[in-house]
Amino acid sequence: MNIQKVGVIGAGVMGASIAAHITNAGIPVYLLDIVPNDASNRNVIAETAVKKLLDSEPAAFMHKNNARLITTGNIEDNLNWLADADWVIEAVIENPQIKQSLYQKLDAVCKQDCLISSNTSTLPLALLVKDMPDSFKRRFMITHFFNPPRYMRLLELVSSPATDPVFVEAVSRFADIKLGKNCVTCKDTPGFIGNRIGIYWLLYGLLDAIENGITVEQADAVMSAPFGIPKTGIFGLLDLVGLDLIPPILKGMKLALPPQDAFHEVNHLPDIVQKMINEGYTGRKGKGGFYRLNKVDGARIKESINLVTGDYAKSEKADLTAIKDAQKADLQALLSHNDPVAQYAWRALSHTLCYAASLVPEISDDITGIDAAMRDGYNWKFGPFELLDQIGVSWFVDKLKSENRPAPPLLAKNSSLYSTDSGRLTFTDLAGNYHPVQRAEGILLLSDIKQQTKPLLKNGSASLWDIGDGVACLEFHSKMNTLDMDSMAMIDQSIDKVSKEFTALVIHNDAENFSAGANLGLLMKAIHESDWSTVELLIKTGQQTYQGLKYAPFPVVAAPSGLALGGGCEILLHCDAVQAHAELYMGLVEVGVGLIPGWGGCKEYMRRCLQLKRPSGPIPPVVKAFQTIGLASVSKSAFDAKELLYLGANDSITMNKDRLLADAKTKALALSKDYAPPKPYLYPMPGKTAKVLLDMGIKAFHLIGKATDYDVIVSGQLAHVLSGGESDFTAPLTEDDILALELEAFLALVKQPGTLARLDHMLKTGKPLRN
Amino acid sequence: MKNVVIAGYCRSPFTPAQKGGLARVRPDDLAAQVVKGLVSKTGINPDDIEDLILGCAFPEGEQGLNVARLIVFLAGLPNTIAGMTLNRFCGSSMQAIHIAAGAIQMNAGEVFICAGLESMSRIPMGGYNNMPNPALYETFPQAYISMGDTAENLSKKYQINRKEQEAFALDSQKKAYAAQQQGRFDEEIIPITAKSVVIDKDGCLRPDSTPEGLAGLNPAFQATGTVTAGTSSPLTDGAAAVLVCSEDYADAHKLPKMARIKSFAVSGCAPEIMGIGPVAATHKALSRAGLKLEDIDIVELNEAFSAQSLAVLKELPIPLSKLNLDGGAIALGHPLGATGARITGKAASLLQRENKRYALATQCIGGGQGIATILEAI
Repeated sequence: MNIQKVGVIGAGVMGASIAAHITNAGIPVYLLDIVPNDASNRNVIAETAVKKLLDSEPAAFMHKNNARLITTGNIEDNLNWLADADWVIEAVIENPQIKQSLYQKLDAVCKQDCLISSNTSTLPLALLVKDMPDSFKRRFMITHFFNPPRYMRLLELVSSPATDPVFVEAVSRFADIKLGKNCVTCKDTPGFIGNRIGIYWLLYGLLDAIENGITVEQADAVMSAPFGIPKTGIFGLLDLVGLDLIPPILKGMKLALPPQDAFHEVNHLPDIVQKMINEGYTGRKGKGGFYRLNKVDGARIKESINLVTGDYAKSEKADLTAIKDAQKADLQALLSHNDPVAQYAWRALSHTLCYAASLVPEISDDITGIDAAMRDGYNWKFGPFELLDQIGVSWFVDKLKSENRPAPPLLAKNSSLYSTDSGRLTFTDLAGNYHPVQRAEGILLLSDIKQQTKPLLKNGSASLWDIGDGVACLEFHSKMNTLDMDSMAMIDQSIDKVSKEFTALVIHNDAENFSAGANLGLLMKAIHESDWSTVELLIKTGQQTYQGLKYAPFPVVAAPSGLALGGGCEILLHCDAVQAHAELYMGLVEVGVGLIPGWGGCKEYMRRCLQLKRPSGPIPPVVKAFQTIGLASVSKSAFDAKELLYLGANDSITMNKDRLLADAKTKALALSKDYAPPKPYLYPMPGKTAKVLLDMGIKAFHLIGKATDYDVIVSGQLAHVLSGGESDFTAPLTEDDILALELEAFLALVKQPGTLARLDHMLKTGKPLRN
Repeated sequence: MKNVVIAGYCRSPFTPAQKGGLARVRPDDLAAQVVKGLVSKTGINPDDIEDLILGCAFPEGEQGLNVARLIVFLAGLPNTIAGMTLNRFCGSSMQAIHIAAGAIQMNAGEVFICAGLESMSRIPMGGYNNMPNPALYETFPQAYISMGDTAENLSKKYQINRKEQEAFALDSQKKAYAAQQQGRFDEEIIPITAKSVVIDKDGCLRPDSTPEGLAGLNPAFQATGTVTAGTSSPLTDGAAAVLVCSEDYADAHKLPKMARIKSFAVSGCAPEIMGIGPVAATHKALSRAGLKLEDIDIVELNEAFSAQSLAVLKELPIPLSKLNLDGGAIALGHPLGATGARITGKAASLLQRENKRYALATQCIGGGQGIATILEAI
C-alpha cells in the first residue's frame, strides 16, 4: 500500500500542524473540522487554521507553497472526499463517544485499504475500538505525533492484535521516509512512552521545587543543559505545553493506571498551578506561566513567578557557581553535591530514571524504545538509560541504597545498560542478556561506524572514516563544527587518501549542526595583532582547499543537517552534490560580522546565479547574488535553500536525518560511475557598472534608514566582488580572478574597526552588531 | 505654415502597479486597445495615418523591440502606418505630439497617432539591466539620482514642509474623486478587456485619504525626509493616445478640432532638482507663443511629487483654480511614458469643457528636463 493522499480530521493546533507536515512530504491533505454554530462560512475552522499555520513560529511549512496542498472543508459536507484517501488521521477532541461516532462515519466512507488512525495522547486503543466492527479494527491504530510535528521526530505507534500488519508497515515506512519520523512501537498503556515518563518528570520537578524552595530559574538551570535536556527545563517546558493541559492528563492517568504505579505519588496539582490556570496564566499561549514577558515602561522584561507567593519578579539568572566545578567534573560529582540545587537535580532525575526503569517491559519491550521516545519526543540528548550509563549504573544503585531506596530490577542486574559486541551496539534485557540494536534498512549512522571502526585519519577538528563500498566520510567535530586550519588540513589529507583508496567522499557529521562556519577566534587573534599575512594565509588556504575538493578526481557529496553557515555553507557550494536533510539552515552570513564570503562562496554562488535559466542580462544575476549574500539570507529549510539557489538541480533532500548518510552514500556511488571533475566556469561579469548600480541601491537603503553606516562599507566591498571588479562582460573572468577579488575585499574589511566591532560582538553575544 | 490640431484623446484606466487591474495585462496589448479605441472614437480613416509615435520610458521586455510598430499590428491597423518608439522618460508621449506637429508643419504627413505607454508592473523602473556609466557616476553622480531624492531636494530648496505637501496631495485626491464620481473621466477612458474581464475605472485614487492618515505615513525615500508615498505619484500601469493632424485635414474630414497647438518647448536643468524643469520649459513656450503666464486659463502640471509641483508653483504663480481641474498624477497615477499624452489631451478637452482660450500642459523629466505645450481653443 502506498500513501499518496491523506485526510486529517480536526483542525486544532495538532491536527493542522500534522496536515502541514504531511504537505512537507509533498503529499496532498484534506483538512476537515466541524461546522461551528451559525457559521456563514462552513469551512471557517479549517481555513483559519491554515492561515495561522502560515504565520506559525517556528514555521510549520517547509515551503509556503505547501499550504496549497491542503484542501480545507468540514465533516458535514466533505467527508466523502476521504473516499480516495490512503490514510485518515483523527485529531479531534479527546472524547471516546465523539471519536467513535466519527469512526463509524469514516468506516463507511473510506475505502477498505485506507488506514484510520487516532492522534490521541490519553485514550487507550482498546477503548477506542470497543464495540467497533472487526472490519474497522483491522485498519485502525494510534499514531501519536509530538508538538510541533515538523520538528519533533517521535511518532508513537500503537496497534492492536486485530490491526493488519500491512497497515502498520505502510504507515511506519511512510512516516520514516516521507515524514522523517522515528517510529517507536508502544504498548496500549496510558500516556504510551513519552508522556508517561515525561509528565512524571515534569510533575516531580514541579512538586519537589515547590516543596524544597527551589526557584523556577534554579530548577530550569540545573534540570537542563547539564543532562543534555533542552534549556526550557521543567518550568519553561510546562509553559510551552500549556498548564491547562495538565489537569485532564492527571485525571486520565489517575483513572487508567494501576493503584501501585509510582505515577500516583506525583499525581496532584499544586494549588499555585490551579490558581494560575484560573487566572489565565496557562503558559506561553495565555497571559504567561511560570515565566512571562511583562511590559514595563515600554520595555519587555522577562519575569518569573515566585512558587511560594505567586508573585512575579524580574527573572534572575540562577547562580550555579557552587556547583560549577562539580558540573565540570562529571555527573556523579554534580548529583552528589550538597548544594540544594544539585540535590534537587538528584531527586528529580533519580526518581524519573527509576520510574523509567520500572516500566520495562510494561510500556516497551526494550530500553531502546524508551530512550528513543525521550530523545525524539522531549528533545533529550540522551534517553533515560543512556543517561544512566553516563552517570554510572552501579554508582547510581549504590546511591539509591544509601538512601534506602530500592533499585528497579533492571538496574540491579546490570552495571551497564548498553554495551558493544565486536563493535556493534547492544542493549540489555531484564534478564541481563545483551541484544544488538537493530537499524532499519537504509539507515546508516556515523555514530555506529565510529563505534565499530577506527578513523582512517584524525586530528583535533576532523576525522575520516570508512563507511563501506569504497566510500569515505569526512566528519567535522570541533566545537560547533567551526572550521579551522586543522579542518583544512584534514580535507587536504582526505583528498589524497580518497584519491588513492576510495571511489567517493561524503562530508557528514551527526551533530545537531553541520557547521557554524569558520573559527572566528583565529581570525580575531590575527586582526588584533594586525597580522595581515596570517589573515591572507587563512583565506588562501580555505580557497585552495575548497578548490581542491571541487576538482578532486572523485565525487564529493555533502550530507548536512541543521546550520551550515559561512564557511560551512561555502564547503557545501563546492561539492558535486548535496544530499540535504530537510531541516537545513544554510546561508552565506558573513556580512553579519562585517566580512564577505572569502572561501569561494561568492564565486560559487555567483555561478549559480549566472547559470539560472531565466531571461536576464548582465545585471540580474549580480543583483540576485548581492541580495542573497548582502542580506545574509539563511534558508528556513532545504526546500527554501533550493529557492535561494544555495541548492541546485543536482541536490536532493532527505526527510529522515537517520537516512541522510545512506542516501548521500548512494548518491556518491551513483556519481562515481564515469566520474569527471567539473569544468572550470568562466564568469561574464559586468564590472564597475554593476558596482555603481548596487552602490546606488545601497545609498537609497542608507538614506531611508534600512542600512547602517557600516552596512554601506561592507555592501560596497561585496558589490565590488560580485560585479567582477574592473572586468567587462565580454571578457569573462576565471574562478581564480573571482577568488582574488574575494581575498582583496576580505583583506580590506578586516582592517576596518567596524568589522572588528562586529566580530567582537558576535563572539561575545552570538548576535550580529548593527553598526 | 499649417496649423496643427488635436483631434482626439483617450486613455486606458490608470491602475496601481502590481495590485491593479492592468498588472496582468501585457503593455503592448494595453496600448493597442487604446490606439484602436482612438481610431474608432475619432472615425479617422486609418489609411491616412502617417505614423504611430509612441513614448515609453523603459522600452524593453514586453514594451521593447520598437513596440510602436508592433502596436500597429496588434491594433489591426494597415501595414502602411509606420511606427516609432521614443524615450524622453516622463515627457515621452508629449514629445510624440511635438514630433508630429513638427512633421506636419514640414509637410511630412497629415495625421499622426501620438501615444504613450508604461507598465510599471511588468517592467521595473530602471529596466532589467540598468548599467550606469561608472566614470560619469564618479564625476557627476546626480546624473543617476533617484526621483525621490530630487523631490526631497526641492522641498529643502523651496522650504516646502510636509504639511503643505500633504495638503496639496489631499486636494489632488479630492478633485480626482469628484471628477470620477461625476463621470468626468468616462469620456476619455477606453475600457480595457483582459481575459474577458473589463477594466474601465481608474484604480489609484485614494478617496479615503485624510490629513491624519497622510501625516502618519513614514518617509518613503529618506529617513529624515518629508516626502511620503502619500505625496508621491504612485507606480502605475496605463496608456494614452492623442490624434494629431493638420487643421486642414481636420476640416476636410470633419474631425472634431479640440485645440490648436500654439507652441512647445523642452529645456534642461540640474538633474538633482529635475522637478523644477517645467519652469524653464514653460517660459520658453510662453515666449514662443507670445503669451504671458497670466494669459493661460487652464494648466495641466504633472504631479510627480507634491514637493515638486509646489516648487514649480513658487516659480510659476498659477492660481489653484486653473490647476489640474480633475486632479493630477498623485491621485490618478503616473504611468511614465503615458502621462504626456494624457495631460496634453486632457488640457485640450478642458479648453472645450470650460470654454477657455489658452491651456498649458507641462511636466518635469528625470535627468533634469522640462517639457511644455501651449494649446489654443479654436
